[in-house]
Amino acid sequence: MTVTWLRYYLWIAPHALLVVVLVVMFRRKLQRQFPIFFTYIAFEIIQFLTLFIAEYSPSISRKQYYLLFLFGSAISTILRFGVLYEIFIHVFRNYPALNRSARVSFRWAVLLLFVAATAFSFSKSGDQIDRMLTVIFVFDRTFSIVQCGLLLSLFLFSRYFSISWKSHVFGIALGFGVFASVELATSAIRSQIGVSGNQILDFITMATYHLCVLIWLFYMLAREQTPKYNSSDLPEHDLETWNQELHRLIKK
Amino acid sequence: MTVTFILVLAGLLALACFLLLAKGRVASTGDMEKLTTRLRPVDVEAFRNLTDPGEEEYLRTNLSGGDFRKIHRERTLAAIEYVSGAAQNAAVLMRIGDAARRSPNPSTVEAGEKLVDTAIRLRLYAFHAIAKLYFGLVLPGPRVSPARIAESYEQMTRLVVMLGVFQHAPQGVAASL
Repeated sequence: MTVTWLRYYLWIAPHALLVVVLVVMFRRKLQRQFPIFFTYIAFEIIQFLTLFIAEYSPSISRKQYYLLFLFGSAISTILRFGVLYEIFIHVFRNYPALNRSARVSFRWAVLLLFVAATAFSFSKSGDQIDRMLTVIFVFDRTFSIVQCGLLLSLFLFSRYFSISWKSHVFGIALGFGVFASVELATSAIRSQIGVSGNQILDFITMATYHLCVLIWLFYMLAREQTPKYNSSDLPEHDLETWNQELHRLIKK
Repeated sequence: MTVTFILVLAGLLALACFLLLAKGRVASTGDMEKLTTRLRPVDVEAFRNLTDPGEEEYLRTNLSGGDFRKIHRERTLAAIEYVSGAAQNAAVLMRIGDAARRSPNPSTVEAGEKLVDTAIRLRLYAFHAIAKLYFGLVLPGPRVSPARIAESYEQMTRLVVMLGVFQHAPQGVAASL
């Protein structure tokens, strides 16, 4: 009984919170800055409502339900890639020196990660109950590897260049990163053990998604922290450096 | 089984990385004053000297094989230290440049833009240079050209000085610089 309630909670609560995220974004006019993320959130809510109705509709068979689920997952994954591209654009928008190379790196990283992920995903197929589930598992694992790799490289790349992230972009990326990394681990285990441990893995994935939605909500509600420029931020210079610069400016 | 293990490990490591990076971001927000304490002194002339091919050639001809290798290793490690210092300073100054871009003064904004751009370029050169220098420790071959790093570093220093001038000088004087 408790397990059933927990399942309902983890299924319904994140989507209810997504509605709040959507409203907050709309009220703060963030949908203009993040149109793909806004669409993704809206789609997740619609997908949830569709699957929820389908689960209790006697006219929809198990196979039809899975097809619906598969179709929804495919669109959701495409939108997630769109969001990742949106994050890349936002992070590098104010850095012309990196903007072009970042776009090229993004495309190459997607391509390379797809090749690596495909190789990993088809290298092992466990005792899945049917082909449809196998497709979903392979699909999940491939995209988790790619998304995880892309986000990690983005975080590390921007950390190396000390690029400052706006709170909203950081929150979106962090939520996706946490979810993609947990999904990567659970999809790998799922493909190994088959359906026997599915319930536990489902709970882990759902709980992580819940956390991810909470991260988005937190960062959407948080005020943007902009460091104030102050002359005391500048390093102290010795007289020699000042003199050199004055000479250079006089000569100009 | 091995693939599953690798993927689970990769997932968990990635999760740990995300959480650590998030923690690092929270800790670094709003500590602009402490930022400048992370600046390291860099002697550009000493760096130029360390990576000068003429100097290296001179040492090669005047020292025995064993001595030269020892000296070469020490000089390369010192050069790596200089480049790392310059790269770290670039990271700090980039944050300052970033903040300056939000200033209401257009001259400060412009100097901030240039500072960020130069700092990024310096970080890029430093990344290549450090890799080359480490490679040079194992296999002597392609040398690091000190010009790009030294010039970028000097340009960056100039921009920081200019930022200071814009901050203190009256609007008209700052605009004429």
